[in-house]
Amino acid sequence: MKPWHARCLIAALAVLTPTASQAHLVTTRLGDFYDGAVHPMTGFEFALPWLALVILAALQGPARGRWLILAFPIGLLLGAALSAWQPGVQFVQIVNVAAIAGIGLLVALAMRLPTPLFLALGFVVGLANGYENGEAMVYNTDRFLFICGVTAIGYVFATLALALINTFLDGRGGWRAIALRAGGSWIAAVGIMVAGFQLSTLYHG
Amino acid sequence: MKTNTLTSWLALATLLALVQPALAHTGTDTVFGFKTGFLHPISGPDHLIAMVAVGLWGAQLGAPAIWVLPITFPLVMAMGGVLGVIGIPVPFVETVIALSAVGLGLMVALRLRPPLWAAAVLVAVFAIFHGYAHGRELPGAADPVGYGVGFVVATGLLHLAGILIGTVTSRPLGAQAVRACGAAIACAGLFFLVT
Repeated sequence: MKPWHARCLIAALAVLTPTASQAHLVTTRLGDFYDGAVHPMTGFEFALPWLALVILAALQGPARGRWLILAFPIGLLLGAALSAWQPGVQFVQIVNVAAIAGIGLLVALAMRLPTPLFLALGFVVGLANGYENGEAMVYNTDRFLFICGVTAIGYVFATLALALINTFLDGRGGWRAIALRAGGSWIAAVGIMVAGFQLSTLYHG
Repeated sequence: MKTNTLTSWLALATLLALVQPALAHTGTDTVFGFKTGFLHPISGPDHLIAMVAVGLWGAQLGAPAIWVLPITFPLVMAMGGVLGVIGIPVPFVETVIALSAVGLGLMVALRLRPPLWAAAVLVAVFAIFHGYAHGRELPGAADPVGYGVGFVVATGLLHLAGILIGTVTSRPLGAQAVRACGAAIACAGLFFLVT
């Protein structure tokens, strides 16, 4: 075989070699801030409690519900920071799933909570959800940027979604609140089933 | 020998060219995730007609049943789903699902108006069996939350479809058409019951 044949074949092999498998999307390649910002959107288990909480806030009325914009991101911030400091706390996952079921039920019942209780709920859900999102950080993640990303998207989501749902509720027709309550019953149903699944997994191993 | 070497290299290059990248699982829209869950109630005609019947009956009964029944159903369905997830044996699941289509179809066809609590209890009993059938599939799902979201959303949308069809009950001809739909659902349920 002539040398240039060998070089051509090696070049061809290099070009034709399959690309690396992408089993798990660890990074957005846009930096750790955006990794943190995108991570809550990667699974229903993260997005559902956020949605349920914002609907519940809207049902509390604008004056009381708007405090969620403060309490929820603070919870996310502390939760994500806690995961960096003390990772691997197992029961947080159960708290998150229980939050999906519990807040969904509160929405379905259109429950109006005392403001301190509602704020505490928003904070605790933020804490648990921030912790679970923070668990996605790996050894080379810039923790500060990732946590800022999670917190920022929590703030943006809570603000925009609350504004949108309040606008929706301000429209004509009594069906709007009922539609939100039906949505709450859907969220609660998912939470109840997944909670049952997780408890059965824990029990049976 | 030279020809053999060249042929071997070319064969190796061809083989490597045919290899595809390994795409294990990206965690989105997995085979047993949202899509499978969403298709589960829609691809089973017995589930489908019973869900539409819930919406039709709610619309026929009017407020507050129009929203009480579709809110009750997913919540109680979730309880049935948990029974399925845990693996507690529940007998006659398919039979009761077919019976639900017969029962709810007859309610619509005969335009029966029981008290709200009785309507809610009837729907709740049927919901347990529908939920059980869906829940049995959940532990095998690659993305259990996605699967759960899928089948709950599909169930809710089928209720909504029934409610939207049922809005024509305000017109005399529409009311007759809705009753005819109920009769058709009952007949289909009877078919599933005997086959």
